[in-house]
Amino acid sequence: MAGNFWQSSHHQQWILDKQDLIRDRQYDLAILSEEEYQKIFNFFASIIQVLGEQLKLRQQVIATATVYFKRFYARNSLKCIDPLLLAPTCVFLASKVEEFGVISNSRLITTCQTVIKNKFSYAYGQQEFPYRTNHILECEFYLLENLDCCLIVYQPYRPLLLFVQDIGQDDQLLTYAWRIVNDSLRTDVSLLYPPYQIAIASLHIACVMLGKESHKPWFAELNVDMDKIQEIVRSIINLYEMWKSYDEKKEIQALLAKMPKPKPAPQR
Amino acid sequence: MGDNYQNKTMAPVMMDYDFKLKTQTERSKVEDLFDFEGCKVGRGTYGHVYKARRKDGSDTKDYALKQIEGTGLSMSACREIALLRELKHSNVINLIRVFLSHTDRKVWLLFDYAEHDLWHIIKFHRAAKASKKSVMVPKGMVKSLLYQILDGIHYLHSNWVLHRDLKPANILVMGEGPERGRVKIADMGFARLFNAPLKPLADLDPVVVTFWYRAPELLLGARHYTKAIDIWAIGCIFAELLTSEPIFHCRQEDIKTSNPYHHDQLDRIFNVMGFPQEKDWEDIRKMPEHATLVKDFKRSNYQNCSLSKYMDRHKIKPDSKAFSLLQRLLLMDPNRRITSEQAMQDPYFTEDPLPTQDVFAGCPIPYPKREFLTDDDQDDKSDSKARQNQQQQQQQQQQQQNNTQQNQVQANSHDHVANNAKRMRMTGPNQGNNTGGGGQQEFHQQQQMMFGGQQQGASNQQQGNFQQRF
Ligand SMILES: Nc1ncnc2c1ncn2[C@@H]1O[C@H](COP(=O)(O)OP(=O)(O)OP(=O)(O)O)[C@@H](O)[C@H]1O
Ligand SMILES: [Mg+2]
Repeated sequence: MAGNFWQSSHHQQWILDKQDLIRDRQYDLAILSEEEYQKIFNFFASIIQVLGEQLKLRQQVIATATVYFKRFYARNSLKCIDPLLLAPTCVFLASKVEEFGVISNSRLITTCQTVIKNKFSYAYGQQEFPYRTNHILECEFYLLENLDCCLIVYQPYRPLLLFVQDIGQDDQLLTYAWRIVNDSLRTDVSLLYPPYQIAIASLHIACVMLGKESHKPWFAELNVDMDKIQEIVRSIINLYEMWKSYDEKKEIQALLAKMPKPKPAPQR
Repeated sequence: MGDNYQNKTMAPVMMDYDFKLKTQTERSKVEDLFDFEGCKVGRGTYGHVYKARRKDGSDTKDYALKQIEGTGLSMSACREIALLRELKHSNVINLIRVFLSHTDRKVWLLFDYAEHDLWHIIKFHRAAKASKKSVMVPKGMVKSLLYQILDGIHYLHSNWVLHRDLKPANILVMGEGPERGRVKIADMGFARLFNAPLKPLADLDPVVVTFWYRAPELLLGARHYTKAIDIWAIGCIFAELLTSEPIFHCRQEDIKTSNPYHHDQLDRIFNVMGFPQEKDWEDIRKMPEHATLVKDFKRSNYQNCSLSKYMDRHKIKPDSKAFSLLQRLLLMDPNRRITSEQAMQDPYFTEDPLPTQDVFAGCPIPYPKREFLTDDDQDDKSDSKARQNQQQQQQQQQQQQNNTQQNQVQANSHDHVANNAKRMRMTGPNQGNNTGGGGQQEFHQQQQMMFGGQQQGASNQQQGNFQQRF
């Protein structure tokens, strides 16, 4: 569906308004501070990333899974579905849509188990990954429903490649900007801005970091809303600021404990 | 549910009870909104298709409800939903809505209902031909069909979507209604985004295109699907529309083979087209199965074969515009085959008669409506009221509309097994030999009846009324 972003469900339904987003998060934000909320999403984005890498998925698929995850919670509280279940469900669904080939149910569960045990024990301790295939499959229906069947997600990677080509191939610049796009998945920008703007913002940050003054004219000639680009840049820089003084390994258990959780059926 | 997990597996509560209740009450069930019991009209590998009406009567339109085979979200269901959700073109079937039935884990897709498809249309013409009857259709119908198929495929291709399973059964045509006579390309289950191939496509689905519509490069082991492969299939469909015979008809035994190389199908293609010359298809030497080809085939066996001779036998003159376009669609070398865009610019489409938006150009539609399938054991026994009603209604409408001749032909087509697109097998064309004037080209033959002689004036009027230019 490349080249048709403007007619896409992504553009028409899933570029959200910042005020709406904040309003829809009121329930969670009554329990968590905005920073805590972001730290929790940062953590689950890591889970999706590591899961995807273990399953040898392309970054495009991982990014799509992360966007599904964010879209679900843009409309629902964290308590509706345990994010530890939704995260692998997003990976599962994205891999089918992006046609990497189906991941077998058993492989998905085994990978979840090893990833949680080996890479995220600082968050879950001795606790095992508690879900099985039937949970993922049930969750998948809820996910698809909440996504309103919008499964094709446009990512900044392709526009980024084109922009770097346009600037004049520069591998170092591309590598930096590519990583910044990956990092941007831990902010809300994928819910708020079109992917090409995220690509430009990431490129902009990369140029500043690498001190590439010579590319300034290229940005000046762009026919884009520079205010939007600045907003994206700020979101990403804020993330980096947050990271500086944040030790996930120490804080995440308390955050997960504080996170709103699903309530079971009332006991009779 | 929460209880279960807590007590038996000690898992945390996966889903909030209130959330579950709330979504349950908000979710509409397909069977609450639509009447479709006993109204199955199609069965394919990937699902069952029902003709449906809204229960609340808020409109009286017909809808098509496709229940996807199996449970849950298979990869092809995901692809179909993902792509159809994004695609919007008047010649591509419109996905109206998706229903997820949580209790039995079934997935339902709601589409506009298309009364006809090219498989049934061609079959109708063949049956008429066999019984030496003629069928009245406007003389530009084949052209209009082809134009709209190309338009739809051009849209798909320019959005980096390949169809990969083009065949007459997947080309739908709308019946009476606001979109009368409009082509709708359907069955995108296999369609795939191809701008970022992850795996060689051949690895994903062993068999994609029915062999008759398979491009020669696929049969020679090409690893990647391309736009050109869809174009070849369109060429095959065009030829079939012109002659009512599948141009590359071939006995097919084991459709599920994962080996792309298919000797008999290649033999059939060479029998029609002639064996490709080196200069016509330079890269043929690079095909994975080229060695097998050289081993199995002798050029000299096909010395006297050519597309022009084949089409000439079927009353399509080699100097006609139709033939010249066909030849450009059916080039053996995929690199030389024209694109959908180029095809749409072909002089064939600017020559009279011009293509029309309503492929029937306002004329009565001679084809029967879809029948309800009853070959399913369960369906047979539970002869539900809904089906009886709908079928009765349908028959009444049909009798009002159609003449007796076509009801006869319709009676011939109660071949339910053959309705199954995957198992479909047209009675083989009388290999090569011309079955005589009996109706080689009904699509054209009727032009004399309709627009010939004294009717000239009336037909002009009709054209004025109905022939909307593209
Ligand atoms: N929108 C529609 N309106 C009316 N009939 C339809 C519609 N869609 C499909 N059908 C009928 O149902 C049949 C099967 O549908 P479809 O081709 O979508 O399913 P499939 O299982 O993917 O088929 P295939 O075996 O060709 O892969 C079609 O050949 C056609 O006869
Ligand atoms: Mg089909």
